[in-house]
Amino acid sequence: MSFVRREWSAADADDWHKEDWLAILFSTVSYITLLIGTALSFLAMPIGYLILGIGIVSGVIMMWIIDPKLKRISHEYEKRQKDYLRQLEEIQKWEVEK
Amino acid sequence: MITFQFLDWLWIVLFVALMVFFGVYFYRMGKRSQSDFFLAGRGLPWWLPASSVYATHTATDTPIWVAGVVYKYGFSGLWYAFFSAWCAISAFVSTRIFRRSLAYSQAEWQSLRFGGLGAELLRGWLAGWQVFMNMFILGWVGIAMGKICQMIFGWDLWMGLFIFTTLGAIYVLSSGYWGVVMADFQQGVVAFLIIVIVSIWGVVAAGGPDEIISRLNSYSSTVEWEVPADWENRRGAIRITDAETGKAVAESDGSFAIATAISEEAQARLESEAAAMIKSKQEEMAGLLFPTAEDEIQAGEKYTIVWDSGDSDSRVNVDVTADGGSSWSRIASQHFSGQAWRLNFFSFTGMFEGQFPVAWFITMMIIALIGGFGMGTSIDWYPEAQRIQSAKTVRDASYSIWAGSALVLIRNSIWAAAIIGFFVLYPGIADSGEYEMAWYRIGFEYLPVGLIGFLFAGVLAIHLSTVSTHLNLGAMYATRDFYHHYVNPKASEASLVKVGRISTFVLLLGSFVFGVIIGEEITAWLIFALWIMAAGVWLPNILQVIWWRFNSWGYLSAWMANLGLSWLVVWILPRFGVIPALPDYLQFWILIVLNALVYLPVTFMTKPENLDHLVAYYAMSRPIGFWGPVRKEAERRGLIPSN
Repeated sequence: MSFVRREWSAADADDWHKEDWLAILFSTVSYITLLIGTALSFLAMPIGYLILGIGIVSGVIMMWIIDPKLKRISHEYEKRQKDYLRQLEEIQKWEVEK
Repeated sequence: MITFQFLDWLWIVLFVALMVFFGVYFYRMGKRSQSDFFLAGRGLPWWLPASSVYATHTATDTPIWVAGVVYKYGFSGLWYAFFSAWCAISAFVSTRIFRRSLAYSQAEWQSLRFGGLGAELLRGWLAGWQVFMNMFILGWVGIAMGKICQMIFGWDLWMGLFIFTTLGAIYVLSSGYWGVVMADFQQGVVAFLIIVIVSIWGVVAAGGPDEIISRLNSYSSTVEWEVPADWENRRGAIRITDAETGKAVAESDGSFAIATAISEEAQARLESEAAAMIKSKQEEMAGLLFPTAEDEIQAGEKYTIVWDSGDSDSRVNVDVTADGGSSWSRIASQHFSGQAWRLNFFSFTGMFEGQFPVAWFITMMIIALIGGFGMGTSIDWYPEAQRIQSAKTVRDASYSIWAGSALVLIRNSIWAAAIIGFFVLYPGIADSGEYEMAWYRIGFEYLPVGLIGFLFAGVLAIHLSTVSTHLNLGAMYATRDFYHHYVNPKASEASLVKVGRISTFVLLLGSFVFGVIIGEEITAWLIFALWIMAAGVWLPNILQVIWWRFNSWGYLSAWMANLGLSWLVVWILPRFGVIPALPDYLQFWILIVLNALVYLPVTFMTKPENLDHLVAYYAMSRPIGFWGPVRKEAERRGLIPSN
């Protein structure tokens, strides 16, 4: 089994796993390096290009890790969304005991 | 004042026509239902809300704010604008949880997460707070537009506020969120283009990247100083010492005069003198270069102290005396010599001292990043919540928030490079009101004819995208959370859209009032709103997402306590000398602790939320964190699969 899981069942995808934390980690690294890399690259500093590159690669890795899980969550959730929306409107209109 | 040519006007007319077109074109879609008027029918692909996130958070006051901190602190000033990084974590945590709740607004989410009277009180409170905040935000971005129009056309402040906020209201009134999000997309494109163009122009105007770096390495050392207002009719002297050894680096070769008032011409001459001294660093001019014994400065004014330390890597302490050296006051500690530090993102001045301490940086990282686990930890959460719900799937919501905020950070960096260029051109500006306009000055002073009009169209795009969002968002809280939930639960879709339009109009009028009240004190209000008002509820905003036991009474008490405590700690107690004026990061931690002393006891002394209610919420939203008992019950009832 590989370190990063790419196949998800509906039940598993709804829970929180290592892949969520990895996505958060790469997302954070990406944000910080995009911020620094863009400013330094705009002043044509070679270290800026390197840092900007790290930012882009981190973003790609983040997506590669989390996309299968997000797809699965979305697919399953959209099936139930209609019912949830009906419940939401019932609460909004005081039609259910809260 | 700036004179527009035919081509400039053409850009502006085309842009305004496009805005009106959006209002008319999406009128029919906006009026179909409440969901269309406020969430575009919950059917948008990720890139549309993403562009809206980016466009909304690119307001007319944003380049003013970014220019202010970058001119003063160099690239490390970008961390002041790092608030939006909460999306790094939020995109995959709180965004996902909130999108699954399907709540229109953060106020509505309260009645899903909590139950009973406490939830209703919270919903009403948050709705009222958000109507107020959206008016307030509209006021401050509106007055920033007024400031720009004053610079360009010489108008009174209120004219820019009134004319261009009303223009945004036209298409929001007509087509609601459909108009907002569609206009945001093209406004985002125009705004990004013009930001890149102006910033490239700024860098080129300063001599290009190599020249900027070279000049920063050759300029003299500087520090800002505001002369105390009660030092009038005295003579001052400055002493600069090495922060490590205490050895004198530079000092006044005699005392300079401090007058009650000097003429505007004399003030301008002093600024030019300081700028010339910064640019003309020469070995034989070592020592204190400005102010000199021949200068007469004004009490209560800001100046740039200039010296040549010889060693650009050293750190210094800067002291000043007005009693012949009997006592010295510290202006800056651990301050970097030279100007090369402006290119360093991590130019810390010590753990707790100086203008950029490590303690401040760590606080900002925690606020910005860890805040992503919560909902409402940043004031940007509230408009983002609307974009999250307008995305067609959970996946689209996550990517829209992540990408929109990434663009915001990239945009800040592009601005920052231009502001560094501006510093190279105009070093030594001590008046923050002047250097805050740096990016606009680059655009309007350096762009050629034709592009000036495109720049103004870009400024309009920046303004309208923010204004339209907050008009529609404030109206959503008024309509969905007040009118529909409390006044008329059986209202038809048509009447809800009508109430939405009336609310939009009321918000427009309210924003004019706030704009006039805020006046020119934009930065002071921004710091208060972004930092202090959110400090005490920052942790409760996270707890409500991650901890099942945190209840509505705890959260409500946190809000109430914060409103009182933030004023006390930030203004009232220091004003009466009860506590010293504290650095902002310390205020944040004090407010966190003081508030916890209120909401934690309240939480534990009141009952947990009803388990049925929590189980229903858990099964729908699947929150992260400490939900053990609720999860176990949801599994027992067969609502979620067992592990």
